[in-house]
Amino acid sequence: MRLQNRLHDSFSNLLSDVRLFIERSSGSAVPPSGKEWEALALRLFGFQCRNVPVYGVWCRSLGISEASVTDWKSIPALPTHAFKDFDVSSLDPADRVAVFHSSGTTATRPSRHHHSVATLALYEASLEAGFLRGLAPLPTGGFRFVSLTPEPGSAPHSSLVHMIAHLGRRLSSGEAVFLGRPGADGWDLPLEPALETLVRLAREGRPILLLGTAFQMVHLMDRLAGSGSFLRLPPGSRVMETGGYKGRSRSVPRDELHALIRGRLCLAGDGVVTEYGMSELSSQAYGGESGLELPPWARLLLVDPESGKEVGEGTPGLVRVVDLSNVGSVMAVETGDLAERRGGLFRLLGRAETAEPRGCSLMTP
Amino acid sequence: MNLPNLFLADLGPALELSPTTLRDACFALRRNREDWLLRQRTRTLVEILAYTAEQWLEPGFGFREVALREGPGETGFGVATLSRGLDAFFRQLTVENLEALIVQDLGDVRRLDDFTSTAVEMRGGRRSLAVGPELLVHLTAGNLPNPALFSMVLGLLTRSAQVVKCPRRGALIPRLFAHSLAATESKLGSSLELVAWSHAEPGAASLEEALFEEAGCITATGGDEMLESVRRRIPQGKRLVAYGHRLSFGFISRESQSTYAMKRLVRAAADDVTAWNQLGCLSPHVYYVEEEAEGMAARFAGELAEELARRESTEPRGDLSTGEAAAIASRRTAYALRAAAASAVSERNLSGSLFFETSTSAQVWASEGSTAWTVVLDGDPRFKASCLNRFVYVKPVRGFDEVLRFAEPVRHQVSTVAVAAPDDRMDALSVRLARWGASRICPVGRMQDPPALWRHDGRPALGDLVAWTDLET
Repeated sequence: MRLQNRLHDSFSNLLSDVRLFIERSSGSAVPPSGKEWEALALRLFGFQCRNVPVYGVWCRSLGISEASVTDWKSIPALPTHAFKDFDVSSLDPADRVAVFHSSGTTATRPSRHHHSVATLALYEASLEAGFLRGLAPLPTGGFRFVSLTPEPGSAPHSSLVHMIAHLGRRLSSGEAVFLGRPGADGWDLPLEPALETLVRLAREGRPILLLGTAFQMVHLMDRLAGSGSFLRLPPGSRVMETGGYKGRSRSVPRDELHALIRGRLCLAGDGVVTEYGMSELSSQAYGGESGLELPPWARLLLVDPESGKEVGEGTPGLVRVVDLSNVGSVMAVETGDLAERRGGLFRLLGRAETAEPRGCSLMTP
Repeated sequence: MNLPNLFLADLGPALELSPTTLRDACFALRRNREDWLLRQRTRTLVEILAYTAEQWLEPGFGFREVALREGPGETGFGVATLSRGLDAFFRQLTVENLEALIVQDLGDVRRLDDFTSTAVEMRGGRRSLAVGPELLVHLTAGNLPNPALFSMVLGLLTRSAQVVKCPRRGALIPRLFAHSLAATESKLGSSLELVAWSHAEPGAASLEEALFEEAGCITATGGDEMLESVRRRIPQGKRLVAYGHRLSFGFISRESQSTYAMKRLVRAAADDVTAWNQLGCLSPHVYYVEEEAEGMAARFAGELAEELARRESTEPRGDLSTGEAAAIASRRTAYALRAAAASAVSERNLSGSLFFETSTSAQVWASEGSTAWTVVLDGDPRFKASCLNRFVYVKPVRGFDEVLRFAEPVRHQVSTVAVAAPDDRMDALSVRLARWGASRICPVGRMQDPPALWRHDGRPALGDLVAWTDLET
């Protein structure tokens, strides 16, 4: 009983310390230092090593103990794949109130990321602070949120929909609108009703923030291009696109997609923002064509797949994210993406697991 | 050695090809074919091929030296891997083998020269001549060079003018082979053309379509998507010989696992995994090990890992792109995690349901500090495609039935199955594999070394290129 209390206490201390870190990072006169970040990361590592069973097993199998890690870069990362096979959580099953699944086809088992009331609140604090940094400056009077995803009631396990719904509640000028619906294999976007709604909202004249996945954006832009039409969004409007294509639309390079969106929706140069997030993490990176950036409470480490060592500027490496706001699961995650650093930002280069050996087309995950 | 500019592909990426250039080239190729190639006897062509191949086997042969010097940079294969693969190919190109191939596919060695009869045809008062297409276009894949080289050999036997389209990063070895043929007989080079571009380049489609217009027959090697796009764009009435990607695996029967036999088998399996760094359709993704007692598959996997480590010192794999290395690194981590979890469950007697959703066992043997080689013993017997580049699965099974059952999802993509089994089981196993859909069954160790007479994906490679003219008397 006493042990339970102590663990519980330590968990809530960590939660509130991370929350404080996020608050101080956003708009405080004295933002927290890198040393503070690292100290908190090491505390969190110790806690997760002891309390997330599969993570403890993983660290031990690598010969790594709590005491042997003295800098954040040596914290072992758990592959996102582990969220599919294992229960990556320190939360008591009775405390779990939400679970986010990775998107994907119905044939594969999704990742599962569990939340309690307290970790969900931290997720929301993190995503909101991150969004405000990533989209700054927001227009006076705010955006009207229009999402191409389904509404939260019909996508309860999507961390993206949860995020958009939360942001909509907190920040949208007028109720957030959801235009998608769940489909047989992912999400569908009924194009004609979506366009009608967009046209109607655009007439109201308030800046719109149009949010959706890259493949939904491609469908919408293809529809507009197919009929040679343009949809003039009100001045100050922006688009936030996220995620990959997963074979559900033609795959368009990011720069091309942004140009397409800007052209069809008559947006300014910085009108399209990319968001990089996943159900396994609680923080998101934001950016434009020049690259992405994580908020100060999450850090990126790029490692050479051959040696496991950190790579230098401009060299492609496997993405590891150390995200302090992942308190109830595991903070250090290897995402399976490839990226390179360019002047403080990073650019995504593709997925490791779908990299095909030359000339071979038979790679199946 | 500087290669003269004999072929369009020699001019490198600076050359801007247009459909008109290609059409003009095809016109010249056809004329040169009429002037010389069509007038040659099979024996002459076979001798030119065999003589050239013999030279390729000589360490001091100029074209071979260039291939081994510049090949690693362009193809990614190490020198030892490359020379082993090329040797295996050129050793097959003998007068005997090429003539035997003609006899096998066409019934008589003179079939491409004169109207001849088999005994059956003679009884029917009939003689036949096999005629190759006027112009043969090959769309080759870049994973390994041998299939492109063999396509050229077949096209020469059928007396066809040929255009070999290579991917940008896969033209060197085909070019060197073409140059070596032209060095043996310059006129032969004048009915052969090589071009290089990548499928995704702007303008690629219009170049390909110009070739399709000119061709009498097209051979294409590649993925389903690429073949489908080719199929759609080929004008009606043109023949397409399509080779889709295939995958292969091995089966080690319980009778083949004596200590002595195992040593030999492990060396042979390492030959299969290291040949062309496992990148060919005939390379193994998985070895199924039939277990009499638990632990046999683990023993095989462990010994294979040791052997692959030795090979890395004599025949290093070479460098990979970051993406390819990352695919290996990610998979290794996934299996290492499963292995750690499974052993934690068994050591500490934890119930699998406590915190693991799956508890299939796994064990990973891997090169340290690099992705050079990986062996994964996977308790999940379902067939799994490897990420290749010397990453192989070993999966225990209780019997051969299980192999067919667990490989069922890839059944229609399987090319080669390497089998180690005693003679008294071999017939039954082979018939079952044949009816199941495997097109080639070979001993372990010979997967990437098919004979020249090999029926490519179960089809007569030479026979599929010719059309017949029957003469009734």
